[in-house]
Amino acid sequence: METFHLLSAGIAQVLQWQDLLAMLIGLVIGMAVSVMPGLGLVMGVVLALPFTYTMSLEPSIILLTAIYMAGTYAGCFTTILYRIPGEPMDVPLLWDGWGMTKRGEAAKALGWALVAALAGGLVSSAVMVALAVPLSKVALSFGAPEYFAAVFFGLTTVVALADNSLTDALISMCIGLFVSTIGVDPTYGSERFTFGQSILMNGVPYVMVLVGAYGFGEILAKIGQGVKIENRPAAGGVETRFPKLREIWAIRATFLRSSVLGTLLGIIPGAGATISSFISYAIEKQYGKRGKDIGTGIPEGIVAPQIASTASVAGHMVPLLTLGLPGSGATAVILAAFLLHGVQPGPFLFQDPKSTLVVYTILASMFIAVIGMCLLGFLWIRVVIRVLKIHQGILATLIVMFALVGAYADRNSLSDVWIVVVFGALAWVMGRFKLPVSPMVLGAILGPIAESSFTRSMITFHNDWTIFFQQPISASLMGAALLSLAIPAIRAGFGRIKPRRRARTNLQETRSTLPSQ
Amino acid sequence: MLQRVLQVAGALCALGIGMIQPASAETYPSRPITFIVPWGPGGGADALARLTSRLLEPQLKVSMPVINVPGATGQTGLTKLLTSPADGYTVEVVTGDTGALFANPHSRFKLNQLIPLAIMIQQPSGFYVSMNSPMKNWSDVVKASKQHELRVAITGYGSPDALTVAYFKARGVNLQAVPFPQPGLRYSSVIGGQSDVLYEQAGDVRSFIDGKQIRPVMLFSEKPVAGFENVPYSGKLGYHANLPQFRVIVVRAGTDPKIVKTLRDAMAKVARTKEYAAYLKQQYALPTSYIPGKESGAFLHNWLAEAYALGYSKKSQSAK
Repeated sequence: METFHLLSAGIAQVLQWQDLLAMLIGLVIGMAVSVMPGLGLVMGVVLALPFTYTMSLEPSIILLTAIYMAGTYAGCFTTILYRIPGEPMDVPLLWDGWGMTKRGEAAKALGWALVAALAGGLVSSAVMVALAVPLSKVALSFGAPEYFAAVFFGLTTVVALADNSLTDALISMCIGLFVSTIGVDPTYGSERFTFGQSILMNGVPYVMVLVGAYGFGEILAKIGQGVKIENRPAAGGVETRFPKLREIWAIRATFLRSSVLGTLLGIIPGAGATISSFISYAIEKQYGKRGKDIGTGIPEGIVAPQIASTASVAGHMVPLLTLGLPGSGATAVILAAFLLHGVQPGPFLFQDPKSTLVVYTILASMFIAVIGMCLLGFLWIRVVIRVLKIHQGILATLIVMFALVGAYADRNSLSDVWIVVVFGALAWVMGRFKLPVSPMVLGAILGPIAESSFTRSMITFHNDWTIFFQQPISASLMGAALLSLAIPAIRAGFGRIKPRRRARTNLQETRSTLPSQ
Repeated sequence: MLQRVLQVAGALCALGIGMIQPASAETYPSRPITFIVPWGPGGGADALARLTSRLLEPQLKVSMPVINVPGATGQTGLTKLLTSPADGYTVEVVTGDTGALFANPHSRFKLNQLIPLAIMIQQPSGFYVSMNSPMKNWSDVVKASKQHELRVAITGYGSPDALTVAYFKARGVNLQAVPFPQPGLRYSSVIGGQSDVLYEQAGDVRSFIDGKQIRPVMLFSEKPVAGFENVPYSGKLGYHANLPQFRVIVVRAGTDPKIVKTLRDAMAKVARTKEYAAYLKQQYALPTSYIPGKESGAFLHNWLAEAYALGYSKKSQSAK
């Protein structure tokens, strides 16, 4: 009851014009940075930080939180419409989002993403406000083995990405995992696969792999099509079309599952929106009613990752406010903003009524930001969709420019620009050989976290690999992961006995339909 | 985004102009000076760089954009500095974590590749335990380590953290260093009970100390630390482990001495501002943190000798 009182007082505070203005600006910035491939929401928060020096505390934090919140949503526009994920967390959304767009259901896909972001944001904010402190304490018991098990489970999303051959998908994922090991090793500082080149010493950041493989590679593929550039399949209306209540009710289990999962994963320090999004997708694939169809362009494949990434925002903000622990890149910058104003977030913020109100104002701002974000998204999509009408040649040039400038801006390094170009070319070559690109991106994104949590587990538990199966959380995650890898393999094994001949004819058919060079 | 594009465009133009006009000490500085932070945004090095650049700009009358070039314990940023021309238009903040790498006999980098402009901050480090831990003080820690190995959360191998842990290990305290490069994860591992002990600068974990989530059991200093009068320090307990965290602003070796002087003079003025004094206080830093350019070389040499003695010399590995 007291929480409710404090929250209403917080809402009253947020409705002041300074705070509302800060929120609006934040939402617009968050949407802008997250639709640009290469420029992430963390970059948006970093760029906005200097402007908060002269502002008072509340609007500063509201501004940064709004950027963070909107940054987990707007990336879905480019992902669904152009197959170019604005942020790493949008990658799982791409598989089904683009599938729907190809069928001319872009408007519907966007509608699903909007409903999902709204649900994820509201549910997780409510849960976190009510149960903040006890939940945060539980999340702290997540150790290195649990991290590794969670990421390992995320890696099994690869099963969903295998179009027709699990082997091809695994090969592609291993390329991604290999790429993530290039550079100075984060634990021992030894150089790996650098060949003495300083360009490789810094490693290959996964953002560059992402921008290269999807952004640049997509353009290369377009150029490959020559003059016969077809118009984007955006038929079926270009406004957001909301799913019917009946349709939402039909996949209520997905909504429930993903909201709970996103919130829980959000509280775990270090898990982040990206991991939440991947794991939610994997869970949906494994346990969803239509799990088999995930990856072909069904709403569940959009809803699950989108809910989880937006839900993780509240999940991250609360440990920051209650325990002073930043669990992600964006919350680390928000912590810096607190410190710049001479305020240390942590348990003692709740000891004094004035600072308690500040905390609840920030929490209240998250509810309003979610609603504001969806309203803006609804309006903005009309603008974004116009871009579809721009001549493809001009659009391609713009995308290449943004991809390359974004690549440079991330670390102020020209070598990153080359990395984008190389991965663009690699993705194009892989496309020619019918090797799926997405598993590679998955491997590159999750590889570094998998490696560091694995190494840390091995250091902590003196190289005892059975540790992953000794604790209940990590053991069940590992079990689920192994199961989801084994089932398709067994199924494929059985399938191979009978229809081998049929498969062969299928392959020949596919070969003959390939465009001749 | 637009700002970023303009920044990049500006930097490219500046680069173009720089190529046409050779840098000269007489007209220095005549264009923006890049301030490299070899760590991510939001950390201690970043905060210092942003404060310093803001206070330096009115002195030097050019802008000083801060850029973050994180990676490999600061080595990525250092590589960027060392591959830029030695013309005073690129400065960098180097922290003790990167400094400790110089103490390694096999280090890729050497101290004489840099010219220090000023030591801007020195902070004592310490060992902390969770408030819920059964260990309440240093002797509890030593006792508990006899029963089972204790995990110490540190930034990474090769850092002052790791050297200090190695020092205590050599003295029979059964510690195991576990690297957590992200500060947030490092702190939560101790508060959540994944690690038993935390190594950190007091200023960086101030909120957790004030919030009664962790307590210091030992601070690494020869003298008592202001603000922590009741906490034992290594000097009192008879340990020779006093490495403070420091942050120094540097340029590349080979920079014109006149340019170095201009920059050092400007730093001296920064050190006299009220904002800088407030910053030191907020960070639990030594009030005498600032060391002017000329003397900072000697400081770095002493610090490195101490780091070497702590972690690499044969003597340190045998019990005292």
